[in-house]
Parts: sequence; structure tokens; C-alpha cells
Amino acid sequence: MAATDRFDAIVIGSGVSGGWAAKELTEKGLRVLMVDRGRMVEHGEDYPFDGKSAYDIPARGRMPAALAKSDYFALNGWVSPATQPFFINDRLNPYDYDAPNKFNWVRPSVVGGKSLTWGRWSFRWSQADFEANKKEGVGTDWPIRYDDVAPWYSYVENYIGVSGARENLPYLPDSEFMPPFPMNVAEKWLKERLENEFPGRKLINARLSNITEDKPEQNRTRCQKRAQCDRGCSFGAYFSTQAVTLPAARTTGRLTLRSDNWVTNLEYDPAQKRVTGVRMVDANTGQVEVVQARMVFLCASAMSSLHILLNSRPASSERSYFHSNGALGSAVMDHIFRVGVSGDIPGMSEFVEYGRRPGGVYVPRFRNLGAEDLPFKRGYGFQGGAGRQASAPEGFGLSMKHGMREYGPWRFTMGAFGECLPYEDNRVMLNHSKTDRFGTPLLRFDVRFRDNEIRMMDDALEQGMLMLRKAGLRNVTGGRGEHVPGEAIHEMGGARMGHDPATSVLNKWNQAHDAANLFITDGAQMASVSCVNPSLTFMAMTARAADHAVKQMQAGVI
Amino acid sequence: MDRRAALASIVGVLGANIFAPLARAIAYQPNPVINTGAPEIIFTPAQRALVTALSERILPTSDTPGAIAAGVPEYIEHMLGDWAITDERATIFDGLAAIDARSMADYKKPAVKASAAQQDALLTLAMNGELPGGTPFFEAFRQLVITGYYTSEIGITQEREYLPVPGEYDGAYPYAKVKRIFSS
Repeated sequence: MAATDRFDAIVIGSGVSGGWAAKELTEKGLRVLMVDRGRMVEHGEDYPFDGKSAYDIPARGRMPAALAKSDYFALNGWVSPATQPFFINDRLNPYDYDAPNKFNWVRPSVVGGKSLTWGRWSFRWSQADFEANKKEGVGTDWPIRYDDVAPWYSYVENYIGVSGARENLPYLPDSEFMPPFPMNVAEKWLKERLENEFPGRKLINARLSNITEDKPEQNRTRCQKRAQCDRGCSFGAYFSTQAVTLPAARTTGRLTLRSDNWVTNLEYDPAQKRVTGVRMVDANTGQVEVVQARMVFLCASAMSSLHILLNSRPASSERSYFHSNGALGSAVMDHIFRVGVSGDIPGMSEFVEYGRRPGGVYVPRFRNLGAEDLPFKRGYGFQGGAGRQASAPEGFGLSMKHGMREYGPWRFTMGAFGECLPYEDNRVMLNHSKTDRFGTPLLRFDVRFRDNEIRMMDDALEQGMLMLRKAGLRNVTGGRGEHVPGEAIHEMGGARMGHDPATSVLNKWNQAHDAANLFITDGAQMASVSCVNPSLTFMAMTARAADHAVKQMQAGVI
Repeated sequence: MDRRAALASIVGVLGANIFAPLARAIAYQPNPVINTGAPEIIFTPAQRALVTALSERILPTSDTPGAIAAGVPEYIEHMLGDWAITDERATIFDGLAAIDARSMADYKKPAVKASAAQQDALLTLAMNGELPGGTPFFEAFRQLVITGYYTSEIGITQEREYLPVPGEYDGAYPYAKVKRIFSS
């Protein structure tokens, strides 16, 4: 990048939100620099394990437990040699918390961010989600409602391709759908039984950012049912920056992409209330540079964006420019996640599955939709699926080997994602006594689940097992693991949107109250978290904010 | 398969809890790399021969190749050498020693020289907990054999049917059309 380059906008981060910001801003005519701390990953070329069989993956896909624990501890065991190249080394890039309040902060190490490895479940928020804080007097009210976002949901869904079935549920609005991945015979059986036993509860097709129809104009091929998404997909069958938004931004000829650069802070002019530069360190050479542009889209992922904002401060102060009202870093949330139930579905032994879908079925939220009297606020949904595995080994030798040639029964498993409330004192801050390899104070987490979340998890376990039992499943088991915040990888909040500059960081257009040329469109913006997976909402909000930002720029306001 | 479903699936495939071998000395590697080259040598020739023989007794050659052809003994040495910590290796080493000792007592020869039927009898004693450390050894060893076999090229493509690019999904595919169950 030549020193003479001039940018209209800098996008920090290249994940779900950053990729969308780069696409929208370049397509609207802006010259954009997108910067990411991760190494470059080119679509198709840099997916080393895409299409590989288990025997071609180091250690057959088994990560040495000690290595996972020492270097990838935030993933809590959910890392394999095939996905390791996409995740950051936690040991070399530490963060901070006090032992009782552990936080599992899962971070990617690549351009494209978590869009390469995400779960791909994609849902719209409902009107009730946007209203909940105000109605219950919890946290702060959202300055927007469903109708503000609905057209932007449609816009991004039509572009990325979301598979699913229309259901007309008021609490789970339909997207613009491609055909769903079908339910298997056991899931159809369960759907009928469960919906009969529990009027009002539904079991529906997964809603996924995996395409079921080709998108030739984007060089993307429909899902091939390999179920290897998190290794990267050369077919481009699921939404990622690499497959979808980066090619669009590059096509404009107005994108400059800089990988391997860690943004440490924003430079700021308090008199003009403007961001005046983005300071970044080259991870390979250590070279520091401050790059300027008319505006900045901060999309570094929720907690990393907060880290950058908290570290944007006068040299003489430990207090951020953006911390004027105390809202920055406050009300950090994650979804509850560690509740799972399963059971055997009797019968249908004459059928098996052919192919491997990227997702199965969903039980949308059914709690606190009306005037129920429950010991917790909000609700949860279940994601799951049915399948058949080889019979368990018995003994050893020929009888075991041949016994394992038969399928066992259909087994259904589902896990809950539930809403966490915004607590002012669930916060992140800088630890000024410890710094990382770039000299930045470590991000320190003080986040924990409270009674509402614990009671919700208890209810999810009880109701999950009850639903499976009453539907007629056998050998029903369930469990509630210790839930460390961050583990759902849906960490959000800390720079929330709000009506009131005294209690929020962003206005209704994702624009910082303290800087008209700063937009934050990743998970940090969230004033509450619903119980549905959030990435689709980040995409819609980013496109909406980009549209507003460019209009303001054209009007000369920015 | 996302991480939320992966564990259930693995446990289903293997039918047991996952043996958790650990890597050695990784704390000293600034940029950890998983060893895909020559494994650490941890077995004596006699131990290696016994591991080889017992692997084949657990997953024998039939109309498809068995554990030896699938490279299971090498896989086990790799997992124990490069992945395991001392305690986990000890489960295997102690079990092998107990089997050898019982073989000497019952058959007056080391287990590797025992007949197939005698080796099966020794494994059965271990499985039933009638040898010192027998049950933990049997569970861990059988799981290593099963994991090594069903993740090998032979296990994936010959013992089972592999669909690298299924293309389609059928959730009511007739079992009658399945010749060998599908590798996951």
C-alpha cells in the first residue's frame, strides 16, 4: 500500500460484519481499506483440509488434548487439526479474567474471521425481541424496531442465500428462503408427535446460510452434503467473507485489503468529535502506521472492537475517549449453551440417511411468549437433528467387527441456545498492568451468568427431556454442563445502541454518539441478544448502517 | 457437522469415551505443529509385536482387511508416543505386561507366541477384569484399535462406504440398498 493512497473509509475486521461493510461501501463508490489482524486466506486455495478424508488429516482429526488446553483453551476442546489453522493461539495472545469468572473468548486468526468456521444457523429477530428491554424495564431500550431492519434482512438474505421453510410464526419471522434441507424420516415422526403433545410448540427445518440452489453469478455451488463446513468450502456453499462479500468488494476495484495488521486504537480529536486515524501494527514486522480516512467502520468482533475502543485514549490517561458515560464495555452478554438432551427414536429401522446435511431441525422459543408465570425472563430455542450411527462395539474380534456393520437406532440430539439479560456490571475493561506483544493492555473480562440464566438452563433441561419423553423417545438422557460465558461464541454488547447518549454508545444508525464518523456494526452494538443466532442480524445492521453512512457522507455531514 | 453435534457423533461411531492421549513437551514450542512424520518410538520390539498381534485379534481380517493391514499398530504407537502423557501410556504398558505375565503362567510362553485362541482367552480375561488393570487396559486399547481402524483408508473405504461428495441428501434412504454402512 503506497503512502499516497487515500481512503474514504477504513473497515476494521473482515468477518461477517466487516465483509459486509467492505462490500456495501465499495459498491457505493467509496475507496475502502479493510484491515484484519489475521493472515490471508484465499477462497478455495487456502482451505488445506477441504475435501480431505479423515485419514488425510493429521492425527485423524484428533487434537492432542494438551495442545488444545495450552494453546487453544478458549475453544474448550472444540478444535481439531483441520480447524486449528483458522483459530488464534490463546497462549501467545492472552486475555485476562479472575479465576471464578472465567471467559472463553474464541477468536479467529484469519481474514474472514469467524465467517469461515461459524455455525451458519440464521434467524431474524422478532418485534418482541426488540421490545423486550423496554417492556420488562431491563437494560436499555433499543432505538429501532423490527420494521427498521426487515428490509435489510431481505436485502442480505437474497444476496447470501438462506435455506429454510416458511412458518409464519410471529416470534420467528420468516426469511427470504431458498428451499430447506429436508427433515429425515425420524425427524418428521418426531415433529408430528411433539407438536401434538405440546400445542404451540414447533419443530421446524433448520434455517441455514448454506445454499440449496446454485448462485452462478457469485460462482457458488449449492451444498454438496459433505458436512465439512468449518474446514472452508471450495463450493462456496455457505456464507463466508471469502465466498460472498470479499469477491463482491474486490470486483469494484476500490478495495485495499491488508492482512496481518493489528489495530491497537483509534486516534481521536475531542474538539471536533471525530476519529482522525486508525493505528495498526504489522504483526510480522512490528511496523506501526496510522492510516486516515473520512470514516471508520469498526467490525473487529464484539470484544475486540471493545478492546480497540477502550484503548483509544489520551497518552496520559487510562480512560477511553469513548468512555464518557460509563456505557462502554458494560452489559456484555453471551447465549446460554450448555444444555443438551437426546433419545432414541423407535422404529423406522428400514431407513437410513444418505448424505450429510449441514444442519437438522429447530425448536423455536416457546417460553414467555404470552402471560406465563415462569421464574425467569425471555426464552430459549433448541437446535438438533436425528441420525443413525454404527452399533456400539460388543466384545472384540469377528463378532464385534461384524456387529459394527449394522446401524444402531435413530438417535435424536438437541441443544439449547438461550437469552442472557444485559447486566450493567457484566463488563470488560483494560488491565493496565499486563500488556500483549503489541504493548496494548490486556482485555479483562468480568462476566458471569446470573439467576435468570441458571433458571433458564434448568427449565431448558427439564422441558427438553419432557418433550422427548412425551413424544415417545426411549433412553432419554440430558445434561447441563458448566457454562463458561463466551462458549456459545455469541459474545455481544458493550457498545450498545440506544436513544440516550448518556446510557449508550451508538445511535440508531450504529453511529457513535462521540464520533459522527465512527460506525460499529458487529456484536458490540447489541442492547439485548434474543435467543436466536446473531450473525444474520449483524449483516442486516451493517448494510443498513453503510447505507446511512454513505448518505451522510454525500450530504457532507461526515 | 458443527462442533455442537460432533461429540455425540464421535461417541456414536466409536461406541466409547474418547481416550485422551496428550502431546509431549508442547509447552516449549512457540508455534505448535502436530507431528505428522515418523512417530516417537516408545515400544520395545516385544511390546510392538504384542500390540500388533492383539490389534488383529480385536479387529481381525475377514472378508475385509484387519487391523494390521489398516496400519492400526503404527497408529497406536503414534498416538501413545506423540499424543499421550505418562499416565495414559502406563495403562497400556501395564496391561500388556499383565497379559504377558498371565500368558507365562498359563501357557509357559510370552503372549505374542501364544496361539490365537490363547490370545483371545487373555483378552477376555482383561475385558472381564480378571487381570490386574485389565478393564482399563481393554477399554483404552480397544478404543485405540477401533479409532485407528475406522479412521484409516481401509476402514473408511473398504470396511465402510465413503461418500466424499454425496451431492444429495435423502433422509429416508432404504437400508436394504446399503451394502456397507456409510463412513461419517
